[in-house]
Amino acid sequence: MRNEQLRPGLWQVVNDRYPGSMITKSDAVPLARFEKPLSEARLTFVSTSGVQPKGTLPFDVAHPIGDYTFRRVPSGSSPEDLEIHQLKYPTDGAMRDLNVVYPITRLQELVAEGTIGGLTDNFYSFIGYNMDPGLFEATVAEDIAAAVEEEGADIALASPA
Amino acid sequence: MSVSCARDVTEHAKPPRAVFVPFRMGHLFGTPFHVELQRRIILVALGLIETAEDSPAILDLDITWAQARREGKEIERLRG
Repeated sequence: MRNEQLRPGLWQVVNDRYPGSMITKSDAVPLARFEKPLSEARLTFVSTSGVQPKGTLPFDVAHPIGDYTFRRVPSGSSPEDLEIHQLKYPTDGAMRDLNVVYPITRLQELVAEGTIGGLTDNFYSFIGYNMDPGLFEATVAEDIAAAVEEEGADIALASPA
Repeated sequence: MSVSCARDVTEHAKPPRAVFVPFRMGHLFGTPFHVELQRRIILVALGLIETAEDSPAILDLDITWAQARREGKEIERLRG
């Protein structure tokens, strides 16, 4: 079953309006084989939702080029410990149940029941509005990749908002 | 692995593994309080660890946004 996205032609529309702002790759990222059972794996979650711990510096959602920083979100947090700073997606669902965009409770449950081996100490969050893919790769992407590796993640679950 | 609601963007980015959900932005993991759907999306994504044979592997989740909304509304009705 192949479903269609609700906003057809999104990549082209944005790239036409802001040329060069959308990431495109000529080659696919190689598939890394994974030999460890999921029940023994340590998972991290990386999100563009702008979810962050309450009291931390809000993302600059008004900057015309974007915010090239990220936040660490302790993986043991409850949704009540977190808040969203984002303007580019509807947050009505997340305001009622954060798990629709940041499934932190679901991931904690999957660890508690033994389906996933464990979580990294921190998850990672940034905002998806960044208009310079090269700058993004050199800053946010590289920094999160290094942090995830340092925390010993076996698996990274990544999600836009 | 990643979750996506914009297949064309994912096809340009070419991640090794992705689950496409035909959902509204801000609702990549489904609808509020729909625990089963939220879990299912995570588990389908994690299942690609074993089932993906080549990159990019984009798997369609077998549900529509209309169905997810209907189920979500029923769940909220029962919550009261």
